[in-house]
Amino acid sequence: MAFARKRRIDLLPYAMIAPIAALLLAISVYPALYAFWLAMTNASLLRLARAQFIGAGNLVRMIDDPVFLEGLWRTLRWDLAVVGSELAIALPIALLLNVAFRGRGIVRAAMMVPYITPPAVVALLFCYIVDGNFGVLNDLLVRAGIFKEYFSWLSDPAGSFWVIVSAMVWYGQPLMALILLAVRQTIPAELYEAARVDGASPWRMFWHITLPHLMPTIWFLLLLRMIWMSNHIDMIFIMTQGGPGFSNYTEAVYSFKLTTQFEIGYASAVAVALALFLVTASALYVRHLARSVLSS
Amino acid sequence: MTAQQTRQVQRVLIYAGAALVLLYSLGPFLWIFIASITPEIKANWGLLSGRRASYFPTEPTLQNYADLLNNSPFALYFRNSLIIAGGNMVLTLAVASLGAYAFVRFRFFGRSSLLVGMLVAYTIPSVVLLVPLLVIFRSYGLINTHLGMILAEATHSAPFVLLLMINYFSTLPRELDEAAQVDGCSRLGTLWRIILPLSVPGLVAGGLLAFIMTWNNFLFAFLFTTTNAVKTLPVMMRLFAMGEPAVWNVSAAGAVLTTLPVALIFLLFQRMLMSGLAAGAVKG
Repeated sequence: MAFARKRRIDLLPYAMIAPIAALLLAISVYPALYAFWLAMTNASLLRLARAQFIGAGNLVRMIDDPVFLEGLWRTLRWDLAVVGSELAIALPIALLLNVAFRGRGIVRAAMMVPYITPPAVVALLFCYIVDGNFGVLNDLLVRAGIFKEYFSWLSDPAGSFWVIVSAMVWYGQPLMALILLAVRQTIPAELYEAARVDGASPWRMFWHITLPHLMPTIWFLLLLRMIWMSNHIDMIFIMTQGGPGFSNYTEAVYSFKLTTQFEIGYASAVAVALALFLVTASALYVRHLARSVLSS
Repeated sequence: MTAQQTRQVQRVLIYAGAALVLLYSLGPFLWIFIASITPEIKANWGLLSGRRASYFPTEPTLQNYADLLNNSPFALYFRNSLIIAGGNMVLTLAVASLGAYAFVRFRFFGRSSLLVGMLVAYTIPSVVLLVPLLVIFRSYGLINTHLGMILAEATHSAPFVLLLMINYFSTLPRELDEAAQVDGCSRLGTLWRIILPLSVPGLVAGGLLAFIMTWNNFLFAFLFTTTNAVKTLPVMMRLFAMGEPAVWNVSAAGAVLTTLPVALIFLLFQRMLMSGLAAGAVKG
């Protein structure tokens, strides 16, 4: 009897999972493994059949490639600028939208709209806003007397960086604001009542009640957004193609540019190196967080 | 200052803040909309530098929208975006709700490792997948096909909707399934006749988020399509952003029409979509 029961494996759940498992195997898992293989070849899209296995050859090339090496710093700079600005804008918005006022529902919905806008449209919007001829930004700056004449933002390395960062922050910060707002709503109101009875100022309440409650979420958001931003391509590629020069070549953009130039072996190597670096860094970071939580 | 005055000052500050948030979030849209109804300068290239920022259209017109539809393949790209986003929505909902039901209601060997595997698949970044998918799609003739685009977009949407549906199905009481089976309903019949009808809010949220993700995605469309017959709107928006062709007010009309469908979906189904958005639906 024991045997009979063991042999009756229920196949239905496997059959139900089969479609999505097959789909993900075909379009995610297998391609990811294939990327590892490509990363060890000198494959070009134009002569794919003649691709040769070169082992760590691409790694050697990376270590000697100034675009890749400087790309590490450019990626980190991009991550920090975007994620830091997102937090600086999202936190006040989340706290404001937690206060009850007439029309709050409308403001909450409006706040989210940039996040569901296609990134390509966001890029177009910001290209137009900073345009050297008809852009609003130049017009306002000249009218206010801050600039003497129109400035060509996207042709300037620093100018283009901050314009792309602004576009990215405008597009991405609603996610942070939404999540911070959701967490803020879970802080018990009694804590604030008690503090008010004790005569605490709003600033002290923020510092001693709100911020400590939000901190775990903030750390999590910073990590998550840093990873996403390291992999982000759209906004930079659409607005300046990584230019002017190499000034906005993050590793992800570099890999994408290599792909469009058909150098797919090296492009894969850069992408895989980036992914492995991010996985390692975030694993170490999570372990560090877990340790500090456990020890406290 | 009396307590009453303090409260009034607070009130003013709150509304000032709210106004600022509205201006920041919607201002660029307002500006691009104004640009889209401002007459296009149809002059020679020498006059391009004569363009100036405009805030109020002195003579509003819909001519830019007509020009966009008549002189560019916008309508075709719109149709492609619709086919690909709609197709992806159907594919994703079908495979994800089937799989999610199995994960929630069945206990079987390898259940948790399969689930973890799908989570890992969800975290593989596009940067890594772009090149291998390009090579694979070329060898299987999926470049320049709607099917190829639908499949590529499923790399993000299928695992995401799977998680969403697992969460949703978990909230439905198990007694429902048991009662249905006592009444002689098969297990697939239970999913089809009992669970899915009760899960409409979850299905709507998952389906629409998959639609929005696909509608907005640029990278796959840029890399896997070379002909107008399959290209999607974000690819056209990139050309417009680069000033090709140099018809800014017509391009503005294109940007408005590209955003309109997803903005309408979001505003109509806001309540259902919010929690999914908080889960990080639209990646990166």
